[in-house]
Amino acid sequence: MRALVGLGLTLALAVPSSGQTPAASSTAGERDRALEKAAADAAAGRRSVAAQELREAALRFHSVTALLQLARLEAGQKEGARALATLRQALALAPNSEDLLSAYAQVALASGAPVRAIPALESLTRIWADVADHHYLLGVALMQAGDMTAAVDALAEAERLEPNRVLTLVALGLAFNKRKLYAEAKPYLVRSLEREPESVEAVAALAESEEGLGELDEARAHALRAVARSPDQPTANLVLGMVLMKEEKFAEARDALEKAAAADPTSAKAHYQLSLAYARLGDEARSRREVELYQKALREVEERLQELRGQAGSAPAAPRP
Amino acid sequence: MKAALSGLLAALAAAAALAQPVARLLFRDVTREAGITFQHHAAPEKKYIVESMSGGVALFDFDNDGLPDIYFVDSLTVETARDPQAARSALYHNLGHGRFEDVTDKAGIGHPGWGMGVCTADVDGDGWEDLYVTGLGGNHLYRNNHDGTFGDVTGRAGLAGGGWSTGCGFADYDRDGKPDLFVSRYVKIDLEHLPEFGKGKTCEYRGIAVQCGPRGLPGEGDLLYHNEGNGHFTEVGARAGVSDPRGYFGLGVAWFDANEDGWPDLYVANDSTPSFLYLNQKDGTFKESAFPMGVAVSEDGAEQGGMGVAVGDYDNSGRFSLFKTNFSEEYNDLYHNDGDHFTDVSFRSKTAPSSLPYVGWGTAFLDYDDDGLLDIIAVNGHVYPQLDKARLGASAPYRQRRLLYHNRGDGTFDEVSAEFGPVLTEERVSRGLAVGDLDNDGRLDVVVNDLDGGAQVLHNELEGAGHWLLVKLKGKGGNTDALGAVVTVRAGGRRLMRLVRSGTGYLSQDDMRAHFGLGAAAQADSIEVRWPDGTSSRMDEVRADRLLEIDQPR
Repeated sequence: MRALVGLGLTLALAVPSSGQTPAASSTAGERDRALEKAAADAAAGRRSVAAQELREAALRFHSVTALLQLARLEAGQKEGARALATLRQALALAPNSEDLLSAYAQVALASGAPVRAIPALESLTRIWADVADHHYLLGVALMQAGDMTAAVDALAEAERLEPNRVLTLVALGLAFNKRKLYAEAKPYLVRSLEREPESVEAVAALAESEEGLGELDEARAHALRAVARSPDQPTANLVLGMVLMKEEKFAEARDALEKAAAADPTSAKAHYQLSLAYARLGDEARSRREVELYQKALREVEERLQELRGQAGSAPAAPRP
Repeated sequence: MKAALSGLLAALAAAAALAQPVARLLFRDVTREAGITFQHHAAPEKKYIVESMSGGVALFDFDNDGLPDIYFVDSLTVETARDPQAARSALYHNLGHGRFEDVTDKAGIGHPGWGMGVCTADVDGDGWEDLYVTGLGGNHLYRNNHDGTFGDVTGRAGLAGGGWSTGCGFADYDRDGKPDLFVSRYVKIDLEHLPEFGKGKTCEYRGIAVQCGPRGLPGEGDLLYHNEGNGHFTEVGARAGVSDPRGYFGLGVAWFDANEDGWPDLYVANDSTPSFLYLNQKDGTFKESAFPMGVAVSEDGAEQGGMGVAVGDYDNSGRFSLFKTNFSEEYNDLYHNDGDHFTDVSFRSKTAPSSLPYVGWGTAFLDYDDDGLLDIIAVNGHVYPQLDKARLGASAPYRQRRLLYHNRGDGTFDEVSAEFGPVLTEERVSRGLAVGDLDNDGRLDVVVNDLDGGAQVLHNELEGAGHWLLVKLKGKGGNTDALGAVVTVRAGGRRLMRLVRSGTGYLSQDDMRAHFGLGAAAQADSIEVRWPDGTSSRMDEVRADRLLEIDQPR
């Protein structure tokens, strides 16, 4: 999922070319010089000096540009929370700035705080309704927040505005798979692979759709194709394991599912299926152990959802109480 | 001009009507003409979870006249909780010829309180069906007096239960010849201190305020009552290992022999928590084995909102599989019995995708077209009326249509409700469902109890249905219903298997008689009964299209 965010992040963190606060020309000149100096210090690796200069410029000139540059610096230092606070300051000065809203959303997404990103992205999609990238990022944020239904709506709009973009097609496939609407997922994934045949993530997702549709031969072939390119690909190994379980090849299934669980220890599904494989092989102790790991993974998912809900008071699609 | 326009419109309307596919007749709603006027009660806003879970419906022949009668369970509301007369459950006597008579008052079983579920059995072995009604604040055992009346013998029997009981089912789990009783329970709830509507994280859904629970509320353990044979039952849940000390949210109950060892096992559909499969250890105890057997959760490990559960050998494999209804955006599970374990074949069987938008409740395997293959029916309806004011997402609205799956015979099903018109596609808020042959014509009828709405009797009038057999068993000793017996019919190259069960679907009771669709076969090559005590009997070359009574050999 993070990989899907990447492209958008690079696109939208570009610094705007001009400041946005009115100022007398002499003040504007001072501000521009201060920003240039900070940029030079940052480029030379003197990040703390640059940050201090930007803070002072922001305070003195009420400069949105200074704040945006500062946020970019902080985000680059993996200080997501601080960057978000800086961007909130900037948004107080320019609440409808596309650059600010976009930067805020992307920093929030990169910080694992999709629920914070969603309002900004919703504003962006409302004000700049014809920008596919905003809808795409909103879809990704909603996926991260667990609201696959709304994610599909946003991603479908991105696809309508900019058809056949591979990232959008893959995201749509993943979101439909999450909703278990495998027949809907498959065409998007097939189209994405027509454009980018080497995408391991898309091949694995296609295998997942096919497994859900009961097309076990196709699912196995695609899962094996993904595993051949990326032996630890969690989805592909999981699909392979599930296909083998259905064929009652329990030892082979166990091996694939062990790889899936090792590649993604947070996957409740992998641990649950592995518990079934051990049970079929008569290894009750390991089966019980995998049930425990499955339950731990479920708890962690629940805690993560609680945390997400805590970010904004309520998740966009709180599950059934 | 005006006349010309109206003529044109009429012509267009006629053309449009001609273009519509004509629905085939399967079920006809005969509720009104049958004389059924039962109305279930619940608070319109469903502000509390206890106002959205009732109620069950039972098909049972209380007067031994050979025709199934109907009992609908009604419920109180928080507002009427102190007035048991505010709810009226109803018993309808089947008069034949499609007519029913409300005999509730004479029977004396109209006011069991805050009713939830129902199951039946001849608990005292006198050859007459008794009635057990679950509910909030106490359950009731109504003993059949053989004269159209029932006596409330709950206290003497020790079956009051208490708390919030939901599902129930009788079975002779220890094979001592007497039917025992399992009762599932849901949430611990105190009507004086109800969780406040919409207040708290477990009281909202899609950003709107809704009733609280079940998550966030304390769950209630389950009960197993051993029939002592002297009119008294002893609660042995903890000793037997089925008391659910963790307090999962228990609903649907299914007694069946999951592992083919001849002893009744027990499946409990739990809401928002893993379901249970208790394997009978043949010594009065059970071993909870749902996880290793593959029937605790969904294929991807999600804890689903289990509601109703059906048991049937849908692929004529000689093993009983499970179908479980769940909450919306989950899917209904079809767990195929592979002998020593189950496999979730919900997606492979094509039953899952169409179930995703619906909150499922009553369900049954039934061969509605008598073609020799068990089909599946499920009735639906959300729990939050407030949902209609929210962004729906992937869920259908509060009122929801039914699902009817036609068995293709290759392990897959087609969802065909739209073929049969509004009787199945009309959106309602249904809960209990019971299946049986109300007029002994060999075609299975369906009775539905809607939450806060009118009941429905759906008469099967499908043209061109196959041959059939209806088998009523009479067990020897105390288990006169032959609960747990398995009837196997060989006909037309197929081997069809049915189970005699008490407690079916969602808090309901199907007609206990075993129904077999035989397709083109005008006779059964053989009928074999495996009786609950392990003995068996057999008949050969049995003519089709009739009701057959088989007594257990003495």
